[in-house]
Amino acid sequence: MNEVTPYTILSVILFAIGIVGFLSRRNLIIIFLSTEIMFQGVIINLVAMGRFYGRLDGQVFALFLLVIAAVEAGLALGLVVLLYRRKNTLDVERWSSMWG
Amino acid sequence: MTPWSLLVYGTFLLGGAAVYLLLPRTDRSTRTAGAILGIGALAAAMAICGRYFLDAGGLNAVFILSATVAIASAVMVITQVKPVYSALYFILLILAMVPLLLIQNAEFLAIALIIVYAGAILVTYMFVIMLSQQNAESVYDRRAREPFTAVFAGFFTMAIIAGQLAQLPAPRILQGTLVSSAAASPIQTEPEADNTEAIGETLLAQYLIGFELAGVLLLVAMIGAIALSRKRLPVVAHAIPAKPPGQIGREVPPY
Repeated sequence: MNEVTPYTILSVILFAIGIVGFLSRRNLIIIFLSTEIMFQGVIINLVAMGRFYGRLDGQVFALFLLVIAAVEAGLALGLVVLLYRRKNTLDVERWSSMWG
Repeated sequence: MTPWSLLVYGTFLLGGAAVYLLLPRTDRSTRTAGAILGIGALAAAMAICGRYFLDAGGLNAVFILSATVAIASAVMVITQVKPVYSALYFILLILAMVPLLLIQNAEFLAIALIIVYAGAILVTYMFVIMLSQQNAESVYDRRAREPFTAVFAGFFTMAIIAGQLAQLPAPRILQGTLVSSAAASPIQTEPEADNTEAIGETLLAQYLIGFELAGVLLLVAMIGAIALSRKRLPVVAHAIPAKPPGQIGREVPPY
């Protein structure tokens, strides 16, 4: 038990909640929101660890994470709009023909 | 098995049961039980934090309160039936993240989080939700897919990692050596100084290539998103009509 433990535990909890949402929901938009929840857990972890070691690298990496999140949101939502135009639904199980 | 770890694992079990009951399914009667269980799990987690963490240093009521709000709103994001409410609860999660970053002296990141997430990304999500709005609630939102397996996978991982983290001793020696080596490095910025200035220095001096690559990545993603989502017009070969005599100028074919 040290100063950084509560933050890491909180980040693990947020990450696992994101995993649960990613695995169990069927709406494409909520699946991508679950990945954003996972990003939040990672950001907390990076900042806490950076502060623990007295470096700013954690915060800089969290900023890069923001860039990745913005890129992911833009591309993924573009894909979602494309898929919605094809089948008129957001259900991922309608796309299970990609199982191969 | 110490009583401490039993308490932690019991809280995670309670939370997992709460999320399982809260996930959308055909009969809504389990949601009340799930909400009660979830409030119980959150209260137990707050009690554990207050009992064991408050005197651990660097932790106060702000952390406990924000962490509770963050976890509760994250659970609400994945258990809402309507996607609009999910997005709104995600904004609440972002707002709960801000105090968590502020008490760690990460002011710039906190403000950037609000601007980028609550301001930009969530607006994009809202646009897509509104564009693909179904009439009322759709079938696939009302029934989760394999809720037990998902909750088991997620909470098992969470309980294992968090239980191990909670039992770790404080790496005091490691911390001392790393801080001293950091102080010896040329680009040493004090986190207690102006946070924005220090981040700017680190970003542009130490991570310049990554910074440029991030810019290129954003540009590529923007072009890709435009190319993905443009409407494909059918290509029709237009026969350019013969100009009537006397007309001046270029004939513009219909789009």
